[in-house]
Amino acid sequence: MRRSSNRKSSAAAGSGSTKAASKEFEKIDHLFNVYADKSSAIIDPEGIEQLCSSLEVDYTDVRILMLAWKMKAQKQGFFTLEEWRTGLKALRADSISKLKKALPELVKEVSRPTDFLDFYSYAFRYCLTEDKQKCIDIESACQLLSLVLGTQFGPQVDKFTEYLKSQSEYKVMNMDQWMGFYRFCNEIPFPSLENYDSDLAWPLILDNFVEWFRENQK
Amino acid sequence: MNSQSQRRKNFKIEAFKHKVELDPKYAERTWKVLEHAIHEIYNNNASRLSFEELYRSAYNMVLHKYGDKLYSGLVATMTAHLNKIAKSVESAQGGLFLEKLNHKWADHNKALQMIRDILMYMDRSYVPTSHKTPVHELGLNLWSDHIIHSPNIQARLQDTLLDLVQRERTGDVINRGLMRNITKMLMDLGSSVYQDDFEKPFLDVSACFYSGESQQFIECCDCGSYLKKAERRLNEEMERVSHYLDAKTEVKITSVVEREMIANHMQRLVHMDNSGLVNMLIDDKYDDLSRMYSLFKRVPEGLSTIRDVMTSYLRERGRVLVTDTERLKDPVEFVQCLLNEKDKHDKIISTAFNNDKTFQNALNSSFEYFINLNNRSPEFISLYLDDKLRKGLKGASEEEVEVVLDKVMMLFRYLQEKDVFEKYYKQHLAKRLLSGKTVSDDAERSMIVKLKTECGYQFTSKLEGMFTDMKTSEDTMLDFYAKQSAELGDGPTLAVQILTTGSWPTQPTAACNLPPEILTVCEKFRTYYLGTHSGRRLTWQTNMGTADIKATFGKGHKHELNVSTYQMCVLMLFNSADGLTYREIEQATEVPALDLKRCLQSLACVKGKNVLRKEPMSKDISEEDVFYFNDKFTSKFVKVKIGTVVAQKESEPEKQETRQRVEEDRKPQIEAAIVRIMKSRRVLDHNSIVAEVTKQLQSRFLPNPVVIKKRIESLIEREFLERDKADRKLYRYLA
Repeated sequence: MRRSSNRKSSAAAGSGSTKAASKEFEKIDHLFNVYADKSSAIIDPEGIEQLCSSLEVDYTDVRILMLAWKMKAQKQGFFTLEEWRTGLKALRADSISKLKKALPELVKEVSRPTDFLDFYSYAFRYCLTEDKQKCIDIESACQLLSLVLGTQFGPQVDKFTEYLKSQSEYKVMNMDQWMGFYRFCNEIPFPSLENYDSDLAWPLILDNFVEWFRENQK
Repeated sequence: MNSQSQRRKNFKIEAFKHKVELDPKYAERTWKVLEHAIHEIYNNNASRLSFEELYRSAYNMVLHKYGDKLYSGLVATMTAHLNKIAKSVESAQGGLFLEKLNHKWADHNKALQMIRDILMYMDRSYVPTSHKTPVHELGLNLWSDHIIHSPNIQARLQDTLLDLVQRERTGDVINRGLMRNITKMLMDLGSSVYQDDFEKPFLDVSACFYSGESQQFIECCDCGSYLKKAERRLNEEMERVSHYLDAKTEVKITSVVEREMIANHMQRLVHMDNSGLVNMLIDDKYDDLSRMYSLFKRVPEGLSTIRDVMTSYLRERGRVLVTDTERLKDPVEFVQCLLNEKDKHDKIISTAFNNDKTFQNALNSSFEYFINLNNRSPEFISLYLDDKLRKGLKGASEEEVEVVLDKVMMLFRYLQEKDVFEKYYKQHLAKRLLSGKTVSDDAERSMIVKLKTECGYQFTSKLEGMFTDMKTSEDTMLDFYAKQSAELGDGPTLAVQILTTGSWPTQPTAACNLPPEILTVCEKFRTYYLGTHSGRRLTWQTNMGTADIKATFGKGHKHELNVSTYQMCVLMLFNSADGLTYREIEQATEVPALDLKRCLQSLACVKGKNVLRKEPMSKDISEEDVFYFNDKFTSKFVKVKIGTVVAQKESEPEKQETRQRVEEDRKPQIEAAIVRIMKSRRVLDHNSIVAEVTKQLQSRFLPNPVVIKKRIESLIEREFLERDKADRKLYRYLA
């Protein structure tokens, strides 16, 4: 393996970058084929599970979601070749070990505010499995919130998911409400909620949450 | 002696200079003459004097530059006389004091006039150039200084005058003419004299007096009597002024009385137990109220005090009225009560409060406040109208009808939820039209016109559609029978009302099983109708129809029963069976349970209308009951009405349902308003949208801000709007 990689790098230094590029993708593609389903030529959920075990990461781990984001994967549970190439190239990884090493970097990257916003909204869209689906059910939304915001805004997420589970008015959450919650976490101090004003354009679900929260505080 | 040449050169004739030197003794003599004359004048001996001579004497003195002597002599002489007069006045006893003063004043004026005439030349030439006071004015000033402000007179004068006023106030009769002369004297002496020597102390004393009196009255009088007294005192003071005080004093003294008697006690008067404003309103005390209005109008905050107390009373009273559960049992009574209250207070405002617009507004705002406290008000007002249009206005003249309808329209205007009223009005109108139970077509039309004027064409277009349908149906039926009479033969006579869906209140249609005879003729009609109106769909509304059935009871008694369609279906079953169980009836007719129970109840449990007999004889219908044809039914009427298609107050579940439908109807209206607003404004913040939407819809109902927010979010989801990316407090219209 080593010798081939050396050969690759020496070739890259010289002419024929396309040659090197295709050679670069060669490793990535090869890695892709390890996990892809033979008939569909796409990594399916089973393949992802295997990938996870290779990476020694739980498949419910948020880092897989981050990987999907990096890949700009369209469909939950599946990676196409294009997506695979996009992701791994951006991470500069062409082997499992490199990929494993790239994960911490990826986590750091995602936590940067502008990138995080993009990741956060991506996370929601990723869960819209059906065509023209606009909402995700409350149960899944709660799980997703914990996964994506749990570390950064733990208390808010805990309370909000508690509220969502206890109420019956909303059975699904839409993108507007999803994004609204992130803004809420960033702008409103918790647990004081002192500058929250329900006369402003906060989504109604958050107005109800704040009311519920204040009631329960008494 | 004169050379000729000299004479020719300077011949001048000089003017004749006659130096007339008045020798000082002459001046002294002339003065003495004048001095003597002044004495005589003051001693009422003027007749013996020669005006011409005296005038000439004065003239000469002034001409020969003895003006100073003349003037100062005048001053001295007058002063001396005035001092004598002062003593004379001072010595007057008791009541004669004023008289003497008055008398002497008259004398002085006469004297002054004569003196001035004599000294007129001095007045015109010497006085201006030496900047001295003219004679007349001098005379007045000297009078002021030596008489009025004489230490022994000044205080006494003031006390006397004030004492007389006080006596008159306590009921004595005084010499008003004398008073007038004295006050006129003071005015003549200068308004500052009048004010300082009389008016100011007068006002102070009056304030004291009225302060005391008002305190006394308010402890022992009720509000009405107190106000009468206050009014009397006010009038008295005004009369006093007109009789013997200067006109300018009027406004000052009246403001004293107003302040002491009214302004200082306003709150206490208005809130007096058993006799205050509220009691006057309740008891329609027009005189007292009118008096209070005109008195309080004079003081600052007076009318607003009355208005505020009236408003809070009305609101409270109204609140009690609309939440009184007893009264709420009868909607017609409820509304009549409101109308009576309105009438009562309208009358008060027009009779006692001078039709004051601000009071009218206060009345309107109070009504608007409490009518909307009860969310069944719209329904009840519609029921009231239903009662009137169905039977209440029977026999009334056109004007009477208009009066009643206009009064109800006033109440309608106060409603916030006009769309709820519309829903009920439609339902009730439908029932009236379909059962043919309207007292006057003109009255119905008139009401529609009034609603249209108030709310616009959209409000009434469907209602008008209902009338059109009725007319069209009539024509259709005539045509049907004209064309089909041969085929119909002996079947039951059908009268169909074809209702355009959308114009009429929607009700879920639950078809029941019609008796075969009816079905046949209905089918014939359907064929006929669809023949001329292809492309339409007809659905029989079995919950809204009526039927006239001929029934024969025991002993051959025949009656004609007027029943609802459901009831007809039930009764026809008894042509083939004498007794049926509830379940059997239910199965055969397929009438919905709630309606079936209601119709069985009116057929079997109402005295005088029990064409069916029920076992057991309980009041309510249970599913185990058995029903028998009541052979023994009797009635003194040949035609018996058992129908149940009358508009009535909704039951609780029905009310919930209607309210739900109203809420559903409001959603698209709110959304349409939001879209309209955003389309023109493009970008707007949340509060502004809420405010604009509320404004646009206020003629129909008051939208709930939470509902508005929900609609906005729904519009965001459907991508009509989005949140602005830069400032997420704003919404943006998506074309």
